[in-house]
Amino acid sequence: MLGRYVCRCSLRRQGLSVSRGLASSAYTNPTKAGDEATTTTPEDLTPHQRKLLEGALRVDQAGEIAANWIYHGQHVVLSRDRATGELIKEMWEQEKKHLAVMDKLQVQHNVRPTLLTDVAKVAGFGLGAVTALMGKEAAMACTEAVETVIGEHYEDQLKELDEMTTKHPSIPLLKGVIKEFKDDELEHLDIAVENHAQRAPAHALLSAVVGAGCMVAIEICKRV
Amino acid sequence: MASSSKLLKLAIPLVRTHGFSREALARSVLELPAGEAHSEPLSDSAVSSLFGEGDKARKNLIEAWLVDGVRHMQKAEAESTSAPPTLRDVLRTRLQYNEPVLAQLPEAFALLATTSSNFHFVDPLPALHHAGRIADEACYAIGDKSLHLSWYTKRASIASVYTAAELHQLVSPNTAYAFLDSLLDKSAALSNSLGEVSLFSSYILKSWQGIIKSQGIL
Repeated sequence: MLGRYVCRCSLRRQGLSVSRGLASSAYTNPTKAGDEATTTTPEDLTPHQRKLLEGALRVDQAGEIAANWIYHGQHVVLSRDRATGELIKEMWEQEKKHLAVMDKLQVQHNVRPTLLTDVAKVAGFGLGAVTALMGKEAAMACTEAVETVIGEHYEDQLKELDEMTTKHPSIPLLKGVIKEFKDDELEHLDIAVENHAQRAPAHALLSAVVGAGCMVAIEICKRV
Repeated sequence: MASSSKLLKLAIPLVRTHGFSREALARSVLELPAGEAHSEPLSDSAVSSLFGEGDKARKNLIEAWLVDGVRHMQKAEAESTSAPPTLRDVLRTRLQYNEPVLAQLPEAFALLATTSSNFHFVDPLPALHHAGRIADEACYAIGDKSLHLSWYTKRASIASVYTAAELHQLVSPNTAYAFLDSLLDKSAALSNSLGEVSLFSSYILKSWQGIIKSQGIL
C-alpha cells in the first residue's frame, strides 16, 4: 500500500513537471489535419517495436473505452446529486476526448483494436454503476483505483516509447499525447481523493480488487 | 554470400518460369548483380540450408511471393487518380499480380494448407492469413477509418470478397474482374452482418477444400 502511495506521489510530481501544452490538439484541431505526424506511421520500426506500439495503442484505446463507460455508469446513478453529477460529467467529457484521439491513433498506425471492445463497455458500465450504487465515496474510490493503474500504465508506456529510435514525427507526438493523458488521469485521481474516496467502505479492499482487475484487463487487451 | 531474404526476392520473378520450386530458389543466385552472381545454381543442400528442407523451402518462397503481393497493392495507391484509391482499384491490382503465375497458384495454396505432420488435414490458417493480410492492406490503402468491432467486420467482408474473386480467377481468369465488381457491389449489405460473413466464409473454406482435393493433395 505504501509502495503504491509513493509511486502515485512520484507520478504526480512527474506529471506536474511536464508542460501542459496540448499535444492532443494535433488530432482534435481540424486546422492541423493532414500533418505527417498525425497521418502516417513509422516504417522503420523493428518487429519488436511495432509489436510494442500496437499493444500499447490497443490497450490505451480499450482503457479509454472502459473509462468512458465507467463514468457513464457512475453518471447514470449519481446524476441526481448535482455537484457529484457535474464532477463526473466533467471527467467523462475529458475521457471522451481521450477516446476520440485514441481512435484516430488506431487508424493512423493501422492497429488492430481489441476484440473485447464490447466486454470493456459492459464491464466498465457495470463497475461504474455498482460502485456508484455503493455511494459517492465508493464511486470516487473506484475512480482513484482505476486512474492510479492507468497513470502507472501510461508511465510504463512512456519508458517503452523512449527506447524507440525512429525519427518519425508521430512517435514524439504520441509521447506528448500520452504525457498529457497521464496528467489528465492523475488529475482525476486527485479529484477522487479530494472528494473523499478514502472514506469509502472497505476502501483498501475495493481499491485492491478494482486495481487488480484493471491490471488483468490491460494484459488481456494487449494480446486479444 | 547474399542473405536468404535477398535471394528470396530474386527468386520471386523466377516463379513465372520455374514455379514455386526449389529450382527457382537455386537459380536465384544467378540473378545477383554482376560481380556477386554465381555461375551455377545453388546445390540442393545449399537450398536446404538457406531456405529449409523439402517443401519448407517452397513454403518460404510462397510466403515471400505473398508478401511481395501485398507490397504490389501499394502500386494502386501510387497510380490512382483519386486519393485515396478505391477498394475496387486496390483489389484489382492484387488480382493482376496473380496473373503471371495463375497456373502455379492452386498447387501453391494447396501446399500452404498442408500440414507437415503425419496427419493429413487441411489447415485453413494460411488461407485466412493470406486473405486477412490483403484485406488489412486494402483497408489501409483506401484510408478506412473503421473502429472497434466494425474494424473486424469490414476486414472480414473484404477478405471474403477477395478470396471468392481469387478462387474464381483460378477457374476463370477472364471473368474474374467482373466477378469482383459484382461482389463489391453487393458487399455493403454483407459487411453489415457478421453472421452473413461467417456463413460466406464457410462456403469459401469448402471451396478451398474442393480445390485442394482436386489437386490430389488429399
